[in-house]
Amino acid sequence: MSDVAEARPLPPGLATTRSTDRRHPWAIRYGFFLFVMAVFAVLAVMRPTFANAGNIESMLVSAAIAALMFLGLTWIVAAGEIDVSFMSVATLANMVTASMVEHRAGWPAASLAGMTAGLVFGAFNALLVGILRLPALVITIASGALAASIAAAIGSGTSISLGSTGFVGAILEARAGPVPLVAILVVLLYAGAWFVQEKLTLGTYIYAMQQNRAAVIEAGVPVRRLVALLYVLSGIVAAVAGILLAANLSSGQPYLGGSYFLNGLTAVLLGGMALKMGKPNVLGTLAGIVFLVGFLNGTALLGWTDSRSQIVRGLLLLISVGLIVFANDRNRRTRRG
Amino acid sequence: MRTHPVLMRLLAFAAIVAVVACVFQSLTPTFLTAENLRGLLRHMAINGLASLGLTFVIVVRHVDLSFPGVASLGAMTLGWLISTNAPLLEAVCGAMAVGAAFGLLNGIAVARLKLPDIVTTIATGGLAIGLAYFYSDGTTISQNFMMSGLLDLNDAKVFGIDEPFAILLATAVIAYLVLHTSRAGHAFYATGENPVSARFSGIGVRRTVVLAFIICGVTGCLAIMLLVASAGASDVTAGNQLLMPAFAAVYLGAALFGRPSVPATMAGTLLMSMMLSGFVLLATPYYYSDAIVSTVLIAAILAFDPDLLRAVRHGIPTGRERAV
Repeated sequence: MSDVAEARPLPPGLATTRSTDRRHPWAIRYGFFLFVMAVFAVLAVMRPTFANAGNIESMLVSAAIAALMFLGLTWIVAAGEIDVSFMSVATLANMVTASMVEHRAGWPAASLAGMTAGLVFGAFNALLVGILRLPALVITIASGALAASIAAAIGSGTSISLGSTGFVGAILEARAGPVPLVAILVVLLYAGAWFVQEKLTLGTYIYAMQQNRAAVIEAGVPVRRLVALLYVLSGIVAAVAGILLAANLSSGQPYLGGSYFLNGLTAVLLGGMALKMGKPNVLGTLAGIVFLVGFLNGTALLGWTDSRSQIVRGLLLLISVGLIVFANDRNRRTRRG
Repeated sequence: MRTHPVLMRLLAFAAIVAVVACVFQSLTPTFLTAENLRGLLRHMAINGLASLGLTFVIVVRHVDLSFPGVASLGAMTLGWLISTNAPLLEAVCGAMAVGAAFGLLNGIAVARLKLPDIVTTIATGGLAIGLAYFYSDGTTISQNFMMSGLLDLNDAKVFGIDEPFAILLATAVIAYLVLHTSRAGHAFYATGENPVSARFSGIGVRRTVVLAFIICGVTGCLAIMLLVASAGASDVTAGNQLLMPAFAAVYLGAALFGRPSVPATMAGTLLMSMMLSGFVLLATPYYYSDAIVSTVLIAAILAFDPDLLRAVRHGIPTGRERAV
């Protein structure tokens, strides 16, 4: 069940020039990484502060948190489903943690409560979408709205500011040499996820479900439980990200979800173009996140307004969707011969 | 589910409405006063318009997540045009043109370029929000609103009905005529049921999908016009509050009446607005409204899901799924 494009020579037209792509399939596979490096180089030249140690560190921390939040989403989209509740679940975990800390419950207990909130919503989505096969989009819109609403209710509509950041803050502060520890941990987590996705049957099933769910069911794979597992995973990782954000922002923010929504989908779909030709995959997501975090940070340093970066993000998402459809179309044609 | 006669469903709907009304009336005696019912209908007009357009998109089996963002852009366009002394009609047409343009963009992307509807409309919605910031750098616009006559829209009466509700009624009648009595309406349902056979029946499938998205964009901007008129200012986040009630109304109606249709959507909107207005009377804080709407939505989907009903009748299905 490995990637079709790996086994066969690439179809013409995927790369920019027709004559070279048969010999240089890596240009598409790794083109996105080159693009990211080029953009970063330009930003670093235009605004030298972009490449400051302090700035890079803070970018790594934000990228690590975002990467946690989008890990579950990557596989859900890869499996042909959708989750639009992840950012609200993160928000809820963030507010639950913050309010527990505010009420002197201590960070360990508060984090546990935040995790539980994420687990509950993950399990809720898993039950409705995975087990009962209800429409994923509407259910996750509704459960996301529910989570966001509860999050706002916890703080009565306003944010909760925290005096201490506890052991979560210590994790975020910890450095292994010059690199934030949390970034290394997330990279290790993604390496593990890459192994699961590429070497274990679970990963194979995820991509197979997207291509032909009926066939996977006929093959005897417990599809319902598999989809349920993905939603639970998404709830948990989103909750962890929300807890880290509580320490990172020293506060509980009831409306932080909005900006992560567009970023999450953009990172997953933009990253889907890298390495696997239009299939969302964990390394691609990681690259997409690094790109988005760097891009938003760099353009903010250049003095771009929010509206301009919002428009660029919308366009990037549109372009990546277009590229993915185009690439999958090509893949399918190659397969038919 | 489809074997149930329409009458049964109507009775069920009437029973639910009566129960909801009784519950709120017993909790707060002001619920069934004329004043509150007028407010309820005005509130219903905003959500009803947005959900009417969404109905068309759902009927062709697509999803539009961009209309809240597009509506925000429409609100800012409307506000900007009015603040530059444009006549009211021109300003409203400008806002609706924005809705139509984004609907066209969505439609072409989904129908012609075959892009996945969910992600594409999320992206175009994000694009619209970005553009909405351009008029005033994100600040609210309310200059000239008093003079323009926009605010009168909220209080004026047509044949003794409040104008917002009159606009909803007129739009609903037009939508009903289009979707349920014309050839074009059959085209929408046929496209949703089976695009391939629809095409072989001589239906312009792509055109129908594009049309559905345009209708959704335009009605979203109509809804936001009423919202701006009642709020008295254009805000860049104005459209966000349309998303949940609109989806809930369409799916609640479809769950109640077996398929998405104009009357079903109106019924869903009525139920939704009754509950929201009831909870407002009970002094429930605003941030609970989405929780109420989404709980009702999930409950409705759960209660009316055909697979689930079958499972209840014949025992819980095993982990193995029927290959559809």
